[in-house]
Amino acid sequence: MKHDAAAIRIAFVAPTLVFLIVIDLFPLLYNVFLSFTNAQLSSAAYDFVGTRNYSAVLGELASPRFQDALRTTGAFVVCAVAIELLLGFVLALALRDSFRGRSAVLSLLLIPMMLSPAVMGLFWNLILSAHNGVLNQALEVLGISGPHWLTDPHWKLPAVILVDVWMWTPFMMLIALAGLNAIPGYIYEAAEIDRASTWAVFRRITLPMTAPLLGLAVLLRCTDALKQFDLVMALTGPNDASTQTVSALLYQVTFAGQKVGLGGAYACVVLVVVIALASVFTRYLDWLAGKQGRSGQVAT
Amino acid sequence: MRALRWVTIVLGVMFGLLPLLWLVLTAFKHHPDAITTTAKFVPIPGTAVGSAGVAFSPTLEAFGATGRAAADGEPNFLDYVLNSAIIGLCSTAASVGLGTSCAYGFSRFRIAGAKDWLFFVLSTRFFPPLAVVAPILIMYRSVHLPNTHLGLIILYSAFNLSLATWLMKGFIDEIPRAYEESAVVDGYSRMATFFRLILPQARTGMAVTAVFCIISSWNEFGFAMTLNNAHAVPVPVYFAGLQGNIEGVPWPRIAAGTLLFVSPIVAFTIMVRKHLLRGVTFGTIKQ
Amino acid sequence: MKISLILCALLASSVAACKGGGSGPEATGSGTAATQAGPRSVTIWWAQWAPADGLQELGREYQKETGVTVNVHQIPWSSYQDQVFLNFGGDTTDFDIVVGDSQWLGRGATSKLYLDLTDWLPTVLDLKTIHPAALKYLCEYPSGTPHYFAAPCETDAVGFAYRKDWFEDPAEKAAFNKKYKRDLAIPSNWDEFRDIAEFFNRPKAKRYGSALLTGRGYDALVMGYQPFLWDWGGSWGDSNTFAVKGILDARPGADALQFMKGLLRFAPNDGSNMDYGKVLEAFTSGSVAMAMNYFAFYPTIVRSMGAKAGFFVVPEKDGKRFTSLGGQGMSISTKAPPARQKLAKDFIAWFLAKQNQERWITKEAGFTANVEILNSPAFMNATPYNKAFSESVGLMRDFWNVPPYNELLASAAQHLGEALDGAKAPEQALGAIAEEHERILREAGFRK
Repeated sequence: MKHDAAAIRIAFVAPTLVFLIVIDLFPLLYNVFLSFTNAQLSSAAYDFVGTRNYSAVLGELASPRFQDALRTTGAFVVCAVAIELLLGFVLALALRDSFRGRSAVLSLLLIPMMLSPAVMGLFWNLILSAHNGVLNQALEVLGISGPHWLTDPHWKLPAVILVDVWMWTPFMMLIALAGLNAIPGYIYEAAEIDRASTWAVFRRITLPMTAPLLGLAVLLRCTDALKQFDLVMALTGPNDASTQTVSALLYQVTFAGQKVGLGGAYACVVLVVVIALASVFTRYLDWLAGKQGRSGQVAT
Repeated sequence: MRALRWVTIVLGVMFGLLPLLWLVLTAFKHHPDAITTTAKFVPIPGTAVGSAGVAFSPTLEAFGATGRAAADGEPNFLDYVLNSAIIGLCSTAASVGLGTSCAYGFSRFRIAGAKDWLFFVLSTRFFPPLAVVAPILIMYRSVHLPNTHLGLIILYSAFNLSLATWLMKGFIDEIPRAYEESAVVDGYSRMATFFRLILPQARTGMAVTAVFCIISSWNEFGFAMTLNNAHAVPVPVYFAGLQGNIEGVPWPRIAAGTLLFVSPIVAFTIMVRKHLLRGVTFGTIKQ
Repeated sequence: MKISLILCALLASSVAACKGGGSGPEATGSGTAATQAGPRSVTIWWAQWAPADGLQELGREYQKETGVTVNVHQIPWSSYQDQVFLNFGGDTTDFDIVVGDSQWLGRGATSKLYLDLTDWLPTVLDLKTIHPAALKYLCEYPSGTPHYFAAPCETDAVGFAYRKDWFEDPAEKAAFNKKYKRDLAIPSNWDEFRDIAEFFNRPKAKRYGSALLTGRGYDALVMGYQPFLWDWGGSWGDSNTFAVKGILDARPGADALQFMKGLLRFAPNDGSNMDYGKVLEAFTSGSVAMAMNYFAFYPTIVRSMGAKAGFFVVPEKDGKRFTSLGGQGMSISTKAPPARQKLAKDFIAWFLAKQNQERWITKEAGFTANVEILNSPAFMNATPYNKAFSESVGLMRDFWNVPPYNELLASAAQHLGEALDGAKAPEQALGAIAEEHERILREAGFRK
């Protein structure tokens, strides 16, 4: 098997790698180049401005605008992922044992995560409207006076989180279910013989044994939530102080403000964070593979 | 405990499906019934449009409107669906083709720095589109690729390659090597083995991968809105534009369009139900 | 870099090839294809709304007369600005004429994206027939100097739509008279406006007093605040020295903002952040007594509400009455080939001729800048809103239209919004805007 000529090996692998380098890596380098210029999207000419964009970014690191975007993104990621994890795990526990129609219920529950955030986000505008939205009317029936989801500055971010939770709780549930199903039955049987309490069983067996997979789910969701742009665009627009995530700020600077150079400098800062997170992710995969490799359930 | 479990399930299903139910109801309304301050949720044929109360007269008007253009010579909704389909299918074919061959390479050969390469492949998916799209736009301009199907096809192919490579590697790893070894003994070349033995065995994997690739390009928004906003516009960008509609947001038309737009995705989701877990975790968890 | 581009192109073509021909190439920029096909057509880009349909209809009549095809390509408002300036970034533009917002003039003129029409425009049009406010804000850059970068196309202004049926209801009239000791009628000043908004505001019955333009996405909030700012005697700044501090953040502006904020008590839910479409939706859903909006939206209101809706000019304050200008002028792209620029000029000249402006006003929301037509009884009586429009044209003023207008808009929208949300006091918000506006204007070289 290992005697194939190098040419064959290259023939299989190289097209993909070259393609990715050209399409993904090259723009990154070009981005770095542009970040030293005052390029604008509405004209082809540009001048070098040295490190002015970076001093602008460094200046902005201390300015409210960039800090707010970072804080908003952070708050969004932490809240959304935590709520999704919690709800997803609870749902998985409820759906763990089989019952009539379980498979159908599971299929239905999984639908939201496959839909387009941009398109569904647009429709959620109608649901969340405080003027004629159906959500607040439903809350009114329950005696709750609903907030102005999309206009009250304190409720806009929660509104974006709500829609994200609606979309991505199924994802957490799916992975949590896989973790729960992988716990061998004999462990529970042993616990039963020991007359362990339900809570003790949950804390000593269920939780620790599903934790590794939940960790993977959290990492995957975090990398995705960090990019949050579609829902923000659909629900509150890119220039809203209370929901401006880093991606929305990048859009605002690069496209509405037409400052490609400054946007490029922001982007470089963002990419460093993303690459760091990606490497955490792969390390985690390695660790997971090492931990569960014997069971053959996880492979990298 | 039992009751609690059922309450959880019922609440979960309600949370997940009620918004979709509202989408379906809205799709069958006249515009004035969709924007009332008292929600109308009981379809009763013959109810006057814009009347008070919770009843509304169901209509197929919004679905009919999906075939009509905003103005003469402008595309209609189905043209945008066609754009999405062209871009989705072509990029999926490219991703699955390239991804399968690359996955085979990494699965069967010892390649220097394989781990780093695989990390590189995966990391390309983590980039926020908005952080890389400006240089891509400037690059594309010099070769006239913005506002073309081809431009987004190339981009989505690259974007989905990470998913395709990782998923396919998982599937190919599962194909026993014994077949190939005996084939090689029989004098088959490596290429012949790949095409005659591996591809047929990896069929399910390729189909599953294709479904995930097509869903992700079908739903993509960040690249599409910045690169293809004048021509070859895919559906999500078209929908986002309706939000700025000067004559009020046409909710029933949006709902009807959304229903048509997501129905293939729902069908696909149910089709690959068994492999869903694998797909959303880049093949790192196998069931 | 060149090598990478070639690589990219090669890859592109190979991907297309292995797809069995691919489907991309035929879509490669309709502009370039059209250029090669022959220059007997003019492509116009405009936002997606009723006036653009009207322009397309006129274009068809033009084609019958001259044989030159006119294509009006409509782009959703939410991405119109981005798309136009992205398109200007290429070597050629997909359009020959762009019907651009008044604030874009500075950017278009100074970046040499808009063709300079200074010498040409007076040869095809007696400038005296154009309303001075429309000429000043839709065509001139810098405003007030005889340099033209656009021809007037759609003239528009902010006004109010109101529920005629509620205003004329005898029971309502009696109740109003009892409470306010005067007759219920169209408000002539802002204090009367406030009373009527308060009177009709009945949240329990899901009825609200007034919906104002308060959306922060693009320019809705700024356009909604301006009538208050100017009526109270305030201003965005000195148009000669570009000084902002001490002018915008003076007493009048702050009082105006405070008054506007007070009106939000009578607004429907979400009333503190409503863009044009939301205000329209709130009004047509039948729950609002008075709604602020541009006249171009009023055909939609008449279509869906008929005689239930009436229209009036923005109210006054101590004898001052101003409104926000809207609408767009037609500019020719400098990146269109010369032959097509010539055809574009021919079309614009035809469009501006009086007999064709008379056709223009028969189209839905086709608002002319021609003074004679504006003042003619035929125009004023053609629709329920034309009379109010004709009055509004003389009251128009505009925001800054210098190249960094977009940053100025975003800054203003953000801080005004914070004032409406209660996060900042009006004085603080205007102080913050003045600070940022002076910095932006100084960086752009206007403020010395």
